[in-house]
Amino acid sequence: MKKYKLLLAISVIAIGLMSALVASINEKKVEEKNLTAMPSKATWEAKNEEFRKDFPREYDSWKKTKKSDDIEDMLKKYPELVVLWAGYGFAKDYNAPRGHFYAIEDNRNTLRTGGPKDEKTGPMPTACWTCKSPDVVRVMKKEGDLEYYSGKWSKYGSEIINPIGCIDCHNPETMELQVNREYLDEGLKAQGHEDLPSLADATQQDMRTMVCAQCHSEYYFNKTPLGDGKKAAVVKLPWGEGTSVDDMEKYYDNLDFKDWTHKVSKAPMLKAQHPGYEMWKTGAHGKNNVSCADCHMPYTNEGGVKYTDHHVGNPLENMDKSCMNCHRTSEKSLLANIEEKRARKDELHEKSMAQLAAAHLEAGKAWELGATKEEMKPILTDIRHAQWRWDYAVASHPAFFHAPEETLRVLGSALEKAGNARIKLAKVLAKYGAADYVAPSIDSKEKAQEIVGLPFKKLVEEKKVFRDGLMQEWKKEAEQKGLYNPKSTQNIEDKTSYN
Amino acid sequence: MEKNQKVVVYGALFSFLIAISLFAYTVYASNMLSYLSSDPKACINCHTMHSAYATWERSSHKDVAKCVDCHLPVDNVVNKYKAKAIDGWNHSVAFTMNTYKNNIQIGEDGANRVQANCVRCHSNLNNTLMENSSNYHNMNTQNLENTRKCWECHKHVPHGKVRSLMSTPYNLGIQEKLK
Repeated sequence: MKKYKLLLAISVIAIGLMSALVASINEKKVEEKNLTAMPSKATWEAKNEEFRKDFPREYDSWKKTKKSDDIEDMLKKYPELVVLWAGYGFAKDYNAPRGHFYAIEDNRNTLRTGGPKDEKTGPMPTACWTCKSPDVVRVMKKEGDLEYYSGKWSKYGSEIINPIGCIDCHNPETMELQVNREYLDEGLKAQGHEDLPSLADATQQDMRTMVCAQCHSEYYFNKTPLGDGKKAAVVKLPWGEGTSVDDMEKYYDNLDFKDWTHKVSKAPMLKAQHPGYEMWKTGAHGKNNVSCADCHMPYTNEGGVKYTDHHVGNPLENMDKSCMNCHRTSEKSLLANIEEKRARKDELHEKSMAQLAAAHLEAGKAWELGATKEEMKPILTDIRHAQWRWDYAVASHPAFFHAPEETLRVLGSALEKAGNARIKLAKVLAKYGAADYVAPSIDSKEKAQEIVGLPFKKLVEEKKVFRDGLMQEWKKEAEQKGLYNPKSTQNIEDKTSYN
Repeated sequence: MEKNQKVVVYGALFSFLIAISLFAYTVYASNMLSYLSSDPKACINCHTMHSAYATWERSSHKDVAKCVDCHLPVDNVVNKYKAKAIDGWNHSVAFTMNTYKNNIQIGEDGANRVQANCVRCHSNLNNTLMENSSNYHNMNTQNLENTRKCWECHKHVPHGKVRSLMSTPYNLGIQEKLK
């Protein structure tokens, strides 16, 4: 009997102790789950500040893109640009880029998007929002790509309201890197390069570039017919023939595609957007797969915590975190090297612009004197290709650094083609008795806009009406819909090139 | 048999059964059998070790030495399991009673074991070191510090210089557990 009593006592004590232990183990498991669980967010949450609580370092560093707020009026710096882009939106207003934080402000403020009066007016299609906001991703998921790409820019004024942020590059549930815009994957597949045939083949290191490439690459608006006879302007990457300047030129020529007809020369023009990714691939960093994030979002230590700096900007502002990890030399010598590269580019850049501006104006004169379409056709093709090449070399974020050799090669070919156009033009002008014609010099933005007949003051007036009226309504509506927190843009100085 | 005795007998057997099943559940819940393996993932059963795991997982040692290769004696099975049992007991008590601090530090016994393992693997290097020191320093004089551990200089090996439980958020150790 004693044995049983002992067994009972021991068992009861063991049950007690083990219960306590099991309870403790399970409690720790819950604790661990809470520690390691990804914070749950509403799917496709586009309000960036909502992520601050869980990713304070990433959010706070992202917010520093606010510091890059200078407006540099590129049309003022290079008035020839107005002539080069005559008849196209960029002749109205074109500034050097500011931080990601200002993507929406700048998109609404630029004269290029005009002064719509309601959701159906204005010069631009919805596609102009595509790279400006995580709301785009949300709307694409909600309404489907075709619906998103149809209609006027003003259609989404109260929907697309937060600047480039978290879910542009991240899966909202796991926070893994993810490209949320379909056209990049389609572009890769069309290109069919063995290195990266599709996004599904991308490594983590590739993704650290591809999330940037979804916007920092060349694109065009592919007019896609809708059921109702209207057309959607769908963003498409022209990579079917490859990604070099020659490949894309061939692609556009085969399609007979033009972005616009030049107002002065009547040339069927192409606008290179910003082939940053394509140029990077051809340079030393790209060939070694040094990703965009490696330099533009370097790893940072804060206390003992290592994280990715989301203050995307110029890596030369913190060379110790970017360049110096790999380059065993002095910052001073690297900077001097880069300045040399810049100066070489600037030289050919400015020469190309001067040649192109003269070619456009001379072509304008030739038309005026009665030149025929047959006479002008080869000239206009040269102008089209020359300007495409010049634009391709300089439109992306510093290609002169990412790919110095390729930049100079492309600018060289732009100069050659612009030169060819002008030799042919000299013959045509001589034939019509204007051998001595000298195109007017372009020394200011105002004069250039006058030459190409651009009603600058009217555009500014229209914009002002829009900014005081409809734009304010958009903000209020977005706030009512719970899409926008006005505090997120509090105390931002309203900066444009025209006010 | 008296009624009371019956209650005691059946009660005892019944509680014994419960105790056995509870023990089985405890074995399962605590992943007890995993501690018999040498898989580093067994060490991150407790989240206290996530930071140690994540830093090792990114270190030069990740392909050549697992946790147990450095932290346990490898001379014989008895010593290995003795050390494992002692560490296991200390860690369980600290974890259950919440007596550990944010920045966990290795104990003296553990440090000696690790030092022995550094020497074991890096013996060639160590011979050179010993030779040099006997050539240039007198190891027998007391005014020289001869008890220093390898990692007093090699601070980054393998867990990194700055570390604590909070220094490796979103790290791989955690993600591997999640998947």
